Amino acid sequence: MAAISENYAPTIALDGSRKTRGNLTQARIRWMILAILLGFVVVGGRLIQLGMVVTDSTIEGQARDVITATRPPILDRNGLEMAVDIRVPSLYAEPRRIIDVDEAVRKLVTVLPELDPEWLRKRLSGDQGFVWVERELSPALEERVMRLGIPGIDFITESKRFYPGLREASHVLGSVNVDNQGISGIEKHIDNEDVALLQDIGLARGNDLAPVTLSMDMRVQHVMYDELQDALVRYKAIASAGVMMDIYTGEVVGLVSLPDFDPNDPKSALVKGSFNRITAGIYELGSTFKTITMAAALDSGKVKLTDQFDARYGIRFGRYTIDDFHGKHRILSVPEIFKYSSNIGTIRVMQALGKENFRAFLTKLGFDKRVPFELPEMRTPTIAKEFSDVGAATASFGHGLSISPLHMAVAVSALTNGGNYIAPTLYKRTRAEAEQSYVRVVQPQTSDWIRYLLRLNALEGSGRQMDKEADGYRVGGKTGTAEKVVNGRYSNSKDFNVFASAFPMDNPRYAMVILVDEPEAENAQSGVTAGWNAGMVTGRIVQRVAPMLGIAPDFSPALDVATTPSFLRSSGSGE
Amino acid sequence: MMRNLNIVLMLTSAIALAGVYGLKFSIEDTANQRSALVAKIKSQEGDLSLLKADWAALNQPGHIEPIVRRHEEALGIGPVQQKQFGSFADLPMRPAAPDSKALNALFESLDAGVDPIDAILEGLQ
Repeated sequence: MAAISENYAPTIALDGSRKTRGNLTQARIRWMILAILLGFVVVGGRLIQLGMVVTDSTIEGQARDVITATRPPILDRNGLEMAVDIRVPSLYAEPRRIIDVDEAVRKLVTVLPELDPEWLRKRLSGDQGFVWVERELSPALEERVMRLGIPGIDFITESKRFYPGLREASHVLGSVNVDNQGISGIEKHIDNEDVALLQDIGLARGNDLAPVTLSMDMRVQHVMYDELQDALVRYKAIASAGVMMDIYTGEVVGLVSLPDFDPNDPKSALVKGSFNRITAGIYELGSTFKTITMAAALDSGKVKLTDQFDARYGIRFGRYTIDDFHGKHRILSVPEIFKYSSNIGTIRVMQALGKENFRAFLTKLGFDKRVPFELPEMRTPTIAKEFSDVGAATASFGHGLSISPLHMAVAVSALTNGGNYIAPTLYKRTRAEAEQSYVRVVQPQTSDWIRYLLRLNALEGSGRQMDKEADGYRVGGKTGTAEKVVNGRYSNSKDFNVFASAFPMDNPRYAMVILVDEPEAENAQSGVTAGWNAGMVTGRIVQRVAPMLGIAPDFSPALDVATTPSFLRSSGSGE
Repeated sequence: MMRNLNIVLMLTSAIALAGVYGLKFSIEDTANQRSALVAKIKSQEGDLSLLKADWAALNQPGHIEPIVRRHEEALGIGPVQQKQFGSFADLPMRPAAPDSKALNALFESLDAGVDPIDAILEGLQ
C-alpha cells in the first residue's frame, strides 16, 4: 500500500487525494474478487476431481457385499438347524499401504506358519488395493494378527457356511464354495431358485433371510445314517444307501448314501465313489422290480391274484434259459410267484400282460426320465424304448434296465398309497398340496393287492429276516438281489442288494428303499441275499424310526388278515 | 451507530462460531459412539452366530446319541422296544366298585342288632 502511494507521490497530483484513494480501493476490490473467484475455482475443481475418482470397492473382482452375503439357514421339518451361517474373520492386505514387506512377511508367518513366505512376499508386494491373504480364520487368530500391528493388514468379516450335522445329511445339503455359492445339493438348488437373484439385486445382505424348511427329519436321517454305516461294517459292503419318503406327500424324510463327504470340507466331495447313489446312481434293481410287474399285470385286469402260472421249467430264449434262483418248479399262484420271487412266474405274468403294456406302464411310473426332484445330481435311467421278447422278460424281474433307487421309492409310494404318482420333494408339503399334483397310475384296488403281496413277502417270503427285526411294525417289502456286472458278465460272487418296502402295511405312511453294495455274509448262519442284509437293515431302521414317526407296534394278527383280499382269506395264502 | 452494529455483528459471529464448532464436535462424538456401537453389534452378531451354530451342533441327534450310549448303563436306559408300547385297550377293566349302599345297609342292620347271617343260619337249621 505504502509502495503504491509512494509511486504515485512524485507524479503531479491532478486528481484530488480522495479520488486517488477511491481508485486505489476499487482496484484492490477487483484484485480481491479475482483472488476469491480463483479460490472458488480451485475448490470447485478439486471437488469435481474428487467426484470423478472411482474408488475400487471390489475385492478381487467381487463387490464387497457379495463376500459378506449371507445364505438362509436350512432347517429340518422339526426346526432343527441343518445349515447355518457363522461370521468369521478373513485376513486381507492392502499392498500399496504396506511399508516394509519383509517385516510384514516375517511377522505374519509367526502367527500363520502354514503360509509360504515366498508366496506371501509376492502377494504383499505391488500396488494393488486389495489381496486376500488367508480366508476364514478363527477369532483367536484374528486377535493375534491384530496384535502384530502391521500397517496395511486388516480383517473383513465373512459369512461361512457351517453344517452342524457334519456328514449326516451331506448328500441332501450339498456344499458351498468359499464365496458362499451353492455348488451341490439343495444349496445349489436354493441358489438357482432365489438367493442368487436376491443377492444380485442387493438384498440378502443382512441376517434376515427367511429360513428354508426341508422335509427331512434329522432323527430319521441319523438313524438311517447310523444303520447304513453299521451295514458297511457288518456286511463288509463297499457302499450302502437308503431313502425314505412319505407316500402321500412325496416328502423325503431321510436320504443317505455312503461313502459320503463332509460338507464342511467341500474338497472331500471329490473323493471317488462319494456320489449320491440314491439320485445319481442307476442300477439294475433286480427282483424288487417284480412288484412293478405285478402291479402292471394286476391293474390291467389280465392277471388276477387267484391265477396260476406254470413255473415248472425254465423259459428258453434262443441260447439262454431263464430259471429260478430257489426254484419250486411247480405250478404257482400269483402270490406264490411273488413270495418265492420266481423269475419264470414273473415272466409268465408279464407275458399275460403283454410286453407293450408292460413298457407303457414303466413310462407311466416315470422310469423314462429323471425323477423330478430338487437335487441337481440326477441321472437319466437307461431303459430300452421298446422291449424285445427277451428284454421284456428280463426287465420283468429287474435286469437289463437301470433306474435310480429314488425311482423305485417313488414307484413303491405310488403303488401303496392308493395308486397316485407323486413326485418326491425335499421341501415341506402338506397332503392337500400334494393331492393337487396326484397322477393316477393304478386303481386303488391294485394298490390294496400290492400292499397284500408286499406284506405277504415279509411274513412268508424273503422279507422274514426283516420282519423279525421290525416285529409289530407291519413292514411289507420285496428283496432284490442283482448280480453285479463285472467285465461285461454277471458275477456270481458280487451282488447288489436292494430292499424296497413300505410300512405300516395296514395303513402305509412311508416307503423306503435300502441298498447294500457287495455285501458278505454276516456270519456262517446267514446268507448273502438281500433279505439278509438290505432287508435286515430296513427292519432295524423301521424298529428305531417308527416310534419317532408316531407309529405304534401292533402284534394283532387281525391287521394282517385285514390286508389280505377277502377272496384269499379262507383258503389261506399259498401253502 | 455503525460501531455498535459492528460490535453486535462481531459478537454474534463469535457466538455462532463457537456454537458451530461445539455442534461439530458433539456430532463427531455421536458419530464415534455410533460406529463403536455398530462395531460392537457386529462382533456380538458374530459371537451369536457362533453360539447358534454351537447350539445347533449340540442338538444334532448324531451328537446326542454317543452321549446317550456312554451313559446307557449307568442310567439304565436303552432304545425303546416294541413290547414297551401299550394302548388304552390293553389296560384291564377297573375292578367293580364295592357296593357301598349294601354295605351301609348291612352295618346299619348290625348296629340295630339284626345279623342277616343269623336269619340264614336259622333257616338252615
